[in-house]
Amino acid sequence: MSDVLLQVSNLSKSYKDKNYWFNRKCTTVLEPLSFDIMAHKTLAIVGETGSGKSTIAKLLVGAELPTTGHIRLNGQTLEPGNFKQRCQHVRMIFQDSGTTLNPSLTIEQLLDEPLQLNTKLSEVERHQLIRETLQKVGLLAEHMSFYPHMFSGGQKQRISLARAIILQPQVIILDEALASLDPSLRSQMINLLLDLQQQMGLAFILISHNLGIVRHFSDEMMVLSKGEVLEFGKTNDILQKPQHKYTKKLIMSQRFQLLHR
Amino acid sequence: MNLIDIRNLSIKLQTSTKPIFAVDRVNLTMKEGEVRGLVGESGSGKSLLAQAIVGVLDEKWEVDADRFHWRGNDLMRLSAEERKAIISKDVAMIFQEPMACLDPTTTIGEQLEEAVDVEQLSGYFWQKRQQRKLAAITLLHKVGIKQHEVCVKSFPHQLTDALCQRVMIAMALARRPMLLIADEPTASMESTNQGQIFRLLASLNQLKNMSILLISHDLENVTHWTNTITVMYSGQFVEAGTTEQIFNQPYHPYTRALVDSSPKANRMIPNKSRLMTLPGSIPTLQHLPIGCRLGPRCPRAQQKCVHAPKIKNFHSHQVSCHFPLKDNYS
Repeated sequence: MSDVLLQVSNLSKSYKDKNYWFNRKCTTVLEPLSFDIMAHKTLAIVGETGSGKSTIAKLLVGAELPTTGHIRLNGQTLEPGNFKQRCQHVRMIFQDSGTTLNPSLTIEQLLDEPLQLNTKLSEVERHQLIRETLQKVGLLAEHMSFYPHMFSGGQKQRISLARAIILQPQVIILDEALASLDPSLRSQMINLLLDLQQQMGLAFILISHNLGIVRHFSDEMMVLSKGEVLEFGKTNDILQKPQHKYTKKLIMSQRFQLLHR
Repeated sequence: MNLIDIRNLSIKLQTSTKPIFAVDRVNLTMKEGEVRGLVGESGSGKSLLAQAIVGVLDEKWEVDADRFHWRGNDLMRLSAEERKAIISKDVAMIFQEPMACLDPTTTIGEQLEEAVDVEQLSGYFWQKRQQRKLAAITLLHKVGIKQHEVCVKSFPHQLTDALCQRVMIAMALARRPMLLIADEPTASMESTNQGQIFRLLASLNQLKNMSILLISHDLENVTHWTNTITVMYSGQFVEAGTTEQIFNQPYHPYTRALVDSSPKANRMIPNKSRLMTLPGSIPTLQHLPIGCRLGPRCPRAQQKCVHAPKIKNFHSHQVSCHFPLKDNYS
């Protein structure tokens, strides 16, 4: 369909234990892994806690330095430490949207911050862009002068989505962003994300443990356990014919919840 | 006989201007040996209702009910002490985040021994200590923890979430309750662990004929485990019926939306299609709509909906809506 947007090759992460001078211990959180994502596509990462899901997210946004491997965006290597280039294109949404918004800033100031730091737009243009972005995520322009505590949980999640898309990124990482929402708000949010993906050609990396959402939302999925990739492929193939024992167990544990009675 | 029979229970908060009804005329009946799901999104008052049953609500909440019967006893007429005696004997409750509910400074064993009922111990005082220990260990066995030596000696932070929840269930079982209220027992747990806890609760229900009130915010998670379901929205009663009725033929527009919006339940819908949703968000307590509180979000709302609907009963499938979706299925 389109070219490879994000190309990750041989990415791995291990921590050194600094306490021992001789035979330093080395804990590997992420075995070397590679994957590609196209525009308009969604990759889902599934696994237990401690399987390295969030480590991948941190490595991609540059919050941690990888031990080996590189990340290429549109064929261009993302240098570790070069945040100017990275945070324009790769953005992240967290699980608990309420705590990621600064309570002492209004929504306009919150959304203004990334624009001031990353673009050379004038004040009028920034104001206009914020207004447009808020409308895109289904909020009103009047909401600009509100503070985060005046919003409900679903609206806060929309604001953090607005903050993510305001720089017109190419990749958005959703780290359990849908888990803490109520069911009716969650499906609103899924609809919104799907719309944005079509309009802007975003690629999503969805980290989740709800297989129902994964099945609905993603094109490809990756099953992680203890830092190792167990399975990687098309979502439908994996969910219908899981190869690995661990994946089968994971699907079984949610399958009986799906059964119609 | 009905284990618990609640009719028109209201829980209100007195403010300077007018009282706020956080729970507005809710009905709940449970039979013996039944697993009932209580489903509602955040702010629907399901936890308040559970706390009102156990009687651990704060002073500021006023509880008011037309009927509040526990196995034929009217709890509203009893004094606080009598009520406490009945409830603490027959009802037990477990909470979400089991790690936070256990005392971090004492071992699991000590906490369990504390929970053991004195009346179940027999013999002289020098024998009681040993019996207490044994009782704690049998409780652990009952919830499926086989390595009791390790578990008894460990502190809550050394155990996983699922194990802590098992310990909480063991404590709840100490007085052999007839009703176990599980307030989101598996929130923030992984799906494999969730399955374990639900299976344990189901086996307790089967083997000991213990009734369970399973509170959850997600309809799709509990449907497999419940016989009957009560749905609440924003403090109001929405719909009650057997799981099949609620899941396959919901009469209320809200329940319909809940079932439709779950990607797990609708395996037929194509990948990446739009899910059905209700517009808007859940109203806050300060700005509750009058009449049916779903009104502003409801696709079928009409002028009549500014008055709160009466509960209609179709073959023990109760629904509180002026325009139920009943005719859609015939």
